[in-house]
Amino acid sequence: MIPIEAETTTKNGIKVVYVSKENILPFLTEKKGEGFDTLLMITGVDYKDHLEVLYHLLSSGNNARLIVKTKTNEEVDSVTSLWKGADWHERETWDLVGVKFKNHPNLKRILLAEGWIGHPLRKDYPMDKKQFVNLSDDGEDRVSYDKTEGY
Amino acid sequence: MEDKVIEVNFGPQHPSTHGVLRIKVKLDGEIIVDAQPVIGYLHRNAEKLAEMGAYPKGMIYIDRLDYVAALNMELGYVLAVENLMDAQVPERAQWIRMLMVELNREASHLIWLGTHGLDMGMLTPFFYCFRERERILRIFDEITGSRLLYNYFAIGGVYSDVTPKAIEMIKEWTDDFVTKLEEIQSLLGKSYIYVSRTRGVGKLTADDVLSYGVTGPMQRASGIKRDVRKNSPYLFYDKVNFDIPSRTEGDVYARFLVRIEEMRQSASIVKQVLEKLPQGEFYNKKYSKPMLVRLKTTGESYVPTESPKGEFAIHLIGDGSSIPYRVRIRSPSFANLSSIPTMLKGYKIADLTASVSSMDPVFGEVDR
Repeated sequence: MIPIEAETTTKNGIKVVYVSKENILPFLTEKKGEGFDTLLMITGVDYKDHLEVLYHLLSSGNNARLIVKTKTNEEVDSVTSLWKGADWHERETWDLVGVKFKNHPNLKRILLAEGWIGHPLRKDYPMDKKQFVNLSDDGEDRVSYDKTEGY
Repeated sequence: MEDKVIEVNFGPQHPSTHGVLRIKVKLDGEIIVDAQPVIGYLHRNAEKLAEMGAYPKGMIYIDRLDYVAALNMELGYVLAVENLMDAQVPERAQWIRMLMVELNREASHLIWLGTHGLDMGMLTPFFYCFRERERILRIFDEITGSRLLYNYFAIGGVYSDVTPKAIEMIKEWTDDFVTKLEEIQSLLGKSYIYVSRTRGVGKLTADDVLSYGVTGPMQRASGIKRDVRKNSPYLFYDKVNFDIPSRTEGDVYARFLVRIEEMRQSASIVKQVLEKLPQGEFYNKKYSKPMLVRLKTTGESYVPTESPKGEFAIHLIGDGSSIPYRVRIRSPSFANLSSIPTMLKGYKIADLTASVSSMDPVFGEVDR
């Protein structure tokens, strides 16, 4: 049994557990063994002093739901070895929230152009600055604040 | 002639990508050895936009996620917000919501069926489907005032009542839709070319489905009988009778059959809702318009709903101010689409459009 740090519920009664970030991979492995076979999504929340990573689990057999949360500053273990679907969700969390996933096979931006400056869902992201993307012939996107260098 | 693998680019500007999907396909002759989807061409960051305004303002961005089933998207948002605020919704409003989302599910499946036929080289089903969809859009126009993006569900109810004329229109539509549907189904399902091009193509096993987090009709076509409307009912889905269609083959043809059957079930739900629609308020007066932007709340909520593509929900976090702290969209198409590498591998390049269109991706929702 991996220890959980705290336990709450959402307003509509879905169980939420907090796990330390070192234990996240063993904890999810254990939960997968208990029947939580579907990973609905992974996401991140920026709480200004720390980041939180959320895992939404679903057991299709007995229709149970569980939200696993972990506090981190930058990095957390990847769970792509458990669920293939975690690949895209982790890439998206890296792209928009800026959480690094250790041992992810292909941790590149998925929605924004490669080379984008900053992570938009961070609370300190500068909303007034426009970025311009230049799609070059070699397939490498270049991003800059300079209007003349892209669209 | 050893190294024959070539790389072909598919999309993003191609009619059968249903939007702006790009796939980097590696081919050995005609066989697909690897397929990597590239997304993000329609990215607007709806989550950030929704985190910048008051709670009711997020609705217009949520509307534009899955633009062919906008009401289903609105429902996911409005349920999350109401759950967070403990808002009471009048019974009539909830039945109206059910009526509207089921009609919108039909519209979404019809647009899928039409364009899927188009992808398979058949133009006729497209016109049949769009003729039927047009009737649904006219009903929406009568009730909400818009044809595609409605902004109709409000916190505490709906913005306008269902008129007697609209009820007449819906009754007229339900009376002959099932026969029309049979006609459309026979156009594709009885075509030798269609069946032989889709049977055994684009297979996903039950294990793949679970591993990728695939939901909705695609999941049910692969033998996992799950539907949020049945498994964790919201609105009044526990008070109507309907079946969850499911198949075990997991191929394109199975997805076609599942969606067709789902449309039949939806039509039956619409009929039952019309019978049970109670009289009363359609809007909770406590949440009148000027009040809405000042609503404050705190806490966390995740209310799963069944959109035409799969499980759709908003993970909403409030911090006590009138602006949501975090709006996270669980988009079914995004997870469904991530199964492309497994789904296409080993099949021929000619099966690619069949497989991709059978997923029913809508890019407003994938890229958000």
